[in-house]
Amino acid sequence: MSETTPPPAGRELDARVAVDIKALQAAGRTDEARDRYSELVGRHQRRALRIAYHYMRDAADADEAVQDAFVKAYTHLGTFREELPFEVWFTRILINGCLDRLKARRRRERWIAPPALDPSGNERDPAEYLPSRGPSPEDQLLSQERRQRLNAALAKLPERQRMVFVLSHFEGRSSREVSTMTGLNESTVRVHLFRAIRRLRAMLAPNVAAAAPRRGRVNRAAR
Amino acid sequence: MRLADTLLRQGHLSEQALVDALLSERRPRHLDRCDLCSERAVDLARWLDDLRAMGTDIADEAFAPEQLKLQHDQILRRLEQLDQRPRVIAFPGLTRPDLSMPAGRRVAPAWLGVAAAAGLVLGIIGGQLTARMGLAEPTATGTTATATDVDGLPPPAPGGPAVDPLLIDLDAPPSSLSEMDDMTPRLTMASNSAGG
Repeated sequence: MSETTPPPAGRELDARVAVDIKALQAAGRTDEARDRYSELVGRHQRRALRIAYHYMRDAADADEAVQDAFVKAYTHLGTFREELPFEVWFTRILINGCLDRLKARRRRERWIAPPALDPSGNERDPAEYLPSRGPSPEDQLLSQERRQRLNAALAKLPERQRMVFVLSHFEGRSSREVSTMTGLNESTVRVHLFRAIRRLRAMLAPNVAAAAPRRGRVNRAAR
Repeated sequence: MRLADTLLRQGHLSEQALVDALLSERRPRHLDRCDLCSERAVDLARWLDDLRAMGTDIADEAFAPEQLKLQHDQILRRLEQLDQRPRVIAFPGLTRPDLSMPAGRRVAPAWLGVAAAAGLVLGIIGGQLTARMGLAEPTATGTTATATDVDGLPPPAPGGPAVDPLLIDLDAPPSSLSEMDDMTPRLTMASNSAGG
């Protein structure tokens, strides 16, 4: 679960670097500040892109959202508090940016034609146009199919559930961290997460959902 | 163990309890003594791991390492632009402002009114003169017109273009045709003789 979560030492390092950059900015040593910030960008870029991509469902939008978030974090580094991990603070900036972009996209979509649909009626994802690197055509096809199903299922989740699921499960954040990043209560985060998992299970593994113990089955099992 | 699990599921864990247990990494004691719930938990954990791996792959495939490098460079370029102090380029006309004049309202000098009045008077006089000269010119032109020879073609101006014969006044026929003209009855004469 905590594969993608940076170790505490990494978090402390991030916070120290952020504080250094703040001091360099205040002293007007902007070249050095940028050099140090480049380290932070390199460490968090991939993770930020994953979050933004799952949230925005579009590679170009995710790219822009991440760029904007890094620039905004740099310009507002003066407001960064050391007691909060840098990644939590940064992820909050990123999520707010993604939300703004989604709102703008919805406004735009009211005026344009509906997106291209694949034969199963799902919106085609730009990521699908990229060549995958599967080892064999069969594996490639199977993997592609499973990913398409997951993509389609994720796309059907409500925004908040998707965000909570991505942060909690894909990024391995605790409920408290997700709560700080999203501004939701911890209990709300847990409810959203559970609902997201239940929905995904129902969509992706219907046989698993059917296998959940019901009263009758439990009774039989208990006998 | 939740009350609902005890009452409704005869002690077995609900789906939510399993999810909570997996995500919080706090293993309930029930899992140690119930094979069914333990199997469900393992199933769920495997499924979630699979999902995470797939989700990560999907996102990572959308961004190749070269794209990451490009994005990194773009971010740093944008930051560099932000750090550069904006330069204000002065407009050429405003480089040396005239300090002798107050910055507020401009007042026209007194001679400007006199010059405007003089210009008006000169304009009126000039207009009158032009109008008078313009009236005199057509009279001179009429005189020259009557001076042309009506009997024949007007002599071409030396070096000028030849006069078109069709433009000659036909009310006065040329002398070679005057006899034929005399023989032709006039309209008034014809009407008198017809009337008796």
